Amino acid sequence: MYTEHRPPRIRALVFALVLALLVTACAPAAPQGAAPEAAAPEASASSVATISFTQEPDSLNPLYTTMWFSGILTDIYLVGLWNFNDAVEPTLQLARELPSAENGGISEDGRVITVHLREDAAWSDGEPVTAADFIFTYEMIMDDRNMVLTRAPYDPYVESIVADGDYTLVITFKEPYAPWVSSIFNYVLPKHILAPVMEAEGTIDNAEWNRNPTVGVGPYVFTEWESGSHILFSRNENHWQQANIDRIFVRMTPDDAAQVAAIKAGDSDIGVYLSFADVPGLQELGTVSIIPTPSGFMEGFFFNVGENGHPALKDVKVRQALAYAFNRDQINQDLLLGLTGTPASPWDLSPFASPDVQPWPYDPEMAVQLLDEAGWVVGADGIREKDGVKLNLRYATNMRDVRLDTQVVAQDMFREVGIGVELINHPSDVFFAAYSAGGPIASGEYDIASWSSQPNAYPDPDTARWTCREIPSAENPVGDNWSYYCNPQLDELFDLQARTVDLDERIAIYGQIKQMMLDEMIWLGVWQDNDMYSVSSRLEGVRISGVDPFWNIADWMIK
Amino acid sequence: MTGFVTDSKTQSVLQFPAEDAQGGAVLTPGRLAWRRFRRHRMAVAGTLIMAALLLYVIGGSFVWSESYANRTETGNRLAAPTLEHPFGTDAVGRDVLARTVYGGQISLLIGVSAVLVSLTFGVLVGALSGYYGGIIDSVLMRFTEAMFSIPSLFLLIVMSKFFGGRVPSFDVFGRTLSGSVIVIVGVIGLTSWMYLARLVRANFLSLKQRDFVLAAECLGVRNRDVIVRHILPNSLAPIIVAATLGVAGAILSEAYVSFLGLGVQPPTASWGNMLENAYNYLESAPWLWFFPGLFTVLTVLSINFIGDGLRDALDPRTLR
Amino acid sequence: MTQYIVRRSLQAIPLLFIISVILFLLMSNMGDPLATLGGRQPPRGADRQRLERQMGLDQPIYLQYVYWLVGNDWRKVDTNGDGEPDTNGTRRGILRGDWGTSLVTRRPVLEMIWERLPNTLLLMGTVEVLVILIALGIGIYSALRQYSAADNVMTAFAFIGYSMPIFWAALMLMYIFAVNFKRWGLPYFPTVGMYDPAVGKTASQVIWHMVLPVISLSITYVAVYSRHIRASMLEVINQDYIRTARSKGLSNRSILWGHALKNASLSLVTLIGLDLPLLLAGAVVTERIFAWPGMGRLFLDHVERVDVPVLMGILMLVSVAVVVFQLLTDIVYTWLDPRIRYH
Repeated sequence: MYTEHRPPRIRALVFALVLALLVTACAPAAPQGAAPEAAAPEASASSVATISFTQEPDSLNPLYTTMWFSGILTDIYLVGLWNFNDAVEPTLQLARELPSAENGGISEDGRVITVHLREDAAWSDGEPVTAADFIFTYEMIMDDRNMVLTRAPYDPYVESIVADGDYTLVITFKEPYAPWVSSIFNYVLPKHILAPVMEAEGTIDNAEWNRNPTVGVGPYVFTEWESGSHILFSRNENHWQQANIDRIFVRMTPDDAAQVAAIKAGDSDIGVYLSFADVPGLQELGTVSIIPTPSGFMEGFFFNVGENGHPALKDVKVRQALAYAFNRDQINQDLLLGLTGTPASPWDLSPFASPDVQPWPYDPEMAVQLLDEAGWVVGADGIREKDGVKLNLRYATNMRDVRLDTQVVAQDMFREVGIGVELINHPSDVFFAAYSAGGPIASGEYDIASWSSQPNAYPDPDTARWTCREIPSAENPVGDNWSYYCNPQLDELFDLQARTVDLDERIAIYGQIKQMMLDEMIWLGVWQDNDMYSVSSRLEGVRISGVDPFWNIADWMIK
Repeated sequence: MTGFVTDSKTQSVLQFPAEDAQGGAVLTPGRLAWRRFRRHRMAVAGTLIMAALLLYVIGGSFVWSESYANRTETGNRLAAPTLEHPFGTDAVGRDVLARTVYGGQISLLIGVSAVLVSLTFGVLVGALSGYYGGIIDSVLMRFTEAMFSIPSLFLLIVMSKFFGGRVPSFDVFGRTLSGSVIVIVGVIGLTSWMYLARLVRANFLSLKQRDFVLAAECLGVRNRDVIVRHILPNSLAPIIVAATLGVAGAILSEAYVSFLGLGVQPPTASWGNMLENAYNYLESAPWLWFFPGLFTVLTVLSINFIGDGLRDALDPRTLR
Repeated sequence: MTQYIVRRSLQAIPLLFIISVILFLLMSNMGDPLATLGGRQPPRGADRQRLERQMGLDQPIYLQYVYWLVGNDWRKVDTNGDGEPDTNGTRRGILRGDWGTSLVTRRPVLEMIWERLPNTLLLMGTVEVLVILIALGIGIYSALRQYSAADNVMTAFAFIGYSMPIFWAALMLMYIFAVNFKRWGLPYFPTVGMYDPAVGKTASQVIWHMVLPVISLSITYVAVYSRHIRASMLEVINQDYIRTARSKGLSNRSILWGHALKNASLSLVTLIGLDLPLLLAGAVVTERIFAWPGMGRLFLDHVERVDVPVLMGILMLVSVAVVVFQLLTDIVYTWLDPRIRYH
């Protein structure tokens, strides 16, 4: 009664549907098909080196990103006074010489740094790079109207920065500031491009240049950025040194396994931040070399000795027992494939590491003895206890695979000496959340936390992470001493080293700091978190640095 | 596992009034259904495979202890299958065989529990909305649409991140499980009921204008009975198809969430996180993904075949 | 009908409001956008405090929501950190067309979404068309020849495809057809991206790079679609009126097109109506693996950074699309099945 015979309609419907889909599908293809002529005119004739990134830079203006993947790009299109080579020595870029006491670059009281700029440097549009650009950069960093990510070290250490003529910069610190070499003017902004924007808009937050820095200073100049796909750089003809390779193509490959596949297929010349587990498979290929690069990052255990931590951890003997019970050499040999070692301090593999400070050895018997001495005795379930409190520790880390693997191995090792461990994992945006944002680690909701830390201005060793004033609280919601460890003696040493400009004196102070931290066992080094790069055998002259990986990109060559 | 699907559904069919049973006095609808199900060869095969898998994951736990499944031996990591470790060892030297046993329990538990959650929500919302219409329909459908408007994987990610780390570990059947299991069950259940609700509602909309429903209403049958005894049995086919795909889907969702790093947390194993851990060793250690992958595929396949068989078997209109 | 459309559109307003409140609350509490700022460790305390103020993250959540919705240009905010509100805000709110600014890239959200939309539509549109065509074929054939060997084989293959987690299938395809085919000297597909930098973005490059992601996605969806089509076809075929039509001597062909398919298409329309707007959201996992610059990637990259303005933008765009498509689905319903009436 209701089955009307209406075939044309259904056919029309299916047809319309398919047509609609085809239109949706094909519409965007048309402009793309037309684009290549405009985008890549001399495409096939040029040489290209491809770098794969697992994360996309937030911005290409260093003012607006502290992202690691953005930072390592600046050597390509936006150099600073100097960068650091693969021996972690400063290599001059825009500066003519490295300031020192001998050449008068450092004043006697250590507060004033004078930098002479090279006079043949030009922006990629031909404008000269002068001291005015540096002053402008400083002003932009300090201006409240700009939502700058970090003002370190200008705020709070710098008193003034002035130009003396076109090619001399005079930087005055409030008090002697040891980490200046690695922290001042890692980049410079083009005043002639950005000053008009600042004038017109009152901020450079939304400047077109932040995303399309078509005017820069470096061996390459920015060409295009297609979100989610790639960033392209071409040789800068106005640079003092002509790069060998025509273009650098940075491709975003968010999935690490797909990145490895791309490297294996030869679709990527340089692989960045590879996981240790992928190294053997890539080495087998014979077409890429793996470069383990010390980058100042050290994976370590932070023990929570604060109110929210397990009471046992307040006892230094228990902390030392944890060090004895945890076979870190085995982790390094087996899980990290022998590519890393056990760090003695957070400053391992740097000039501030000293041979006389050695990591605690693996010695489970000593661990048992110390735990017994501390009054933690084995209960019926094999877990130690004292005054009715079980020795069950919360061991937190974030989602990196090798950390998760280490967690379960450590759990077994601690269990051997009667310490129970509950594993907790948070994604990075929760794990690293500040006290003010309710972060579980910052608030002390853990007993052992494992992450990889680096001194703030690496390769400089300066850090305030273990000082009393950095303990988070309602008054200091952004403090970063998440161990809640407080020792006025250690504070004094940390303050002293930051003011000590003389290298040898500073190294001696670090010797004391490290010994104290080791004896007190407030940080237990697990592995030297070297960055893994893969370099295709197609390329020559690639020397990766742990600070500025692409510092010599102009020297790279394609065979 | 299959138990819940078979039992609850056959039950409601058994309650189905015998007036249109075509088989005469000897064949009750239940028997008819069983006869039809038996004829569906793939469904029978699915049942057998499922039974074998259940035997494996439950029986296996009597052979290998959970502490054995979690025991690491880094000196023997990524070892290919041997007599001692028939399925090889993983990246920290754990026995893959024992982990597939305990991981299977978790994956199946997650699959069933999540579908129970989504079935409850979906059928309730769909039935009420489709039958009553009007304001109830409007409100419920706005809510369904609100949930639907958010791509389920997006919602899954957001909710996993929101609830993640907030549930402590707990004990069940003598096993200590990471709290992430509860989070995942809840999150998968609460993000997957909307298809069901829409399908049930669409069927109800169509069915409620049929003569037999109108007749029942004219006879003064209570609303609840019209829904439960007349319309629901007639909409079973799509519900069963959707629910079976749902169990399979939940097991797969668990794998996706694991892939995105928000899945079941260590040391608790699941097939999903085993697959995720194998992801970086796709070429170098195929035994890592082969076994959990095989079990996942077999489970999803057999559940689907069973559901398919049930669909044909339970549909009173299928004549075979 | 017109009345119905108007009413439904009005109902969409509270719906979108509810969605936005739920999502904003969920997402504002799922992590800390300033935790690492994309770096490998947390920022300095002093910088963090300043950024909280400058980004408005120090405000209570309800106020952050109000600012997102209607902006803050009517209210003075503290720009220099002395604790005193001094200057009017600059945001206008999504109701006045300002989708906000990404906390991560500082770029307008709409602009970021706009760049990704064509890529996602291209990928997902192709998949949808392919899947519907294949699924119609399989579904109808399976239904007409229920339990035949061909039905069983197709069913088995569809399910095996569906049973494979897509991340695994995708990487497997990449290893077989891109890595190993190249190694063996066979014609091979590219691994990742939309085109080869040395060649440029030509139509053929994009199509070539699309093959593997499209196959990966289709493997999963064909099973879902063909199962539904088969199920609803079977249901219709076994109904009395089809038998009547058959006994009247109508040809199989006209029964198929005139009766069965039309009535079975209800369930297909439901599925498509639900799926089409979700295509805008892209494919999170596939886009990630094949480095396809679509919306799913955008979402995933920014969910890891708790970039609420971008996430809200994507989800609200999809929500609006869903509302529109549901309305269309309902209209198509009445057209396909005159028994359904809306009042």
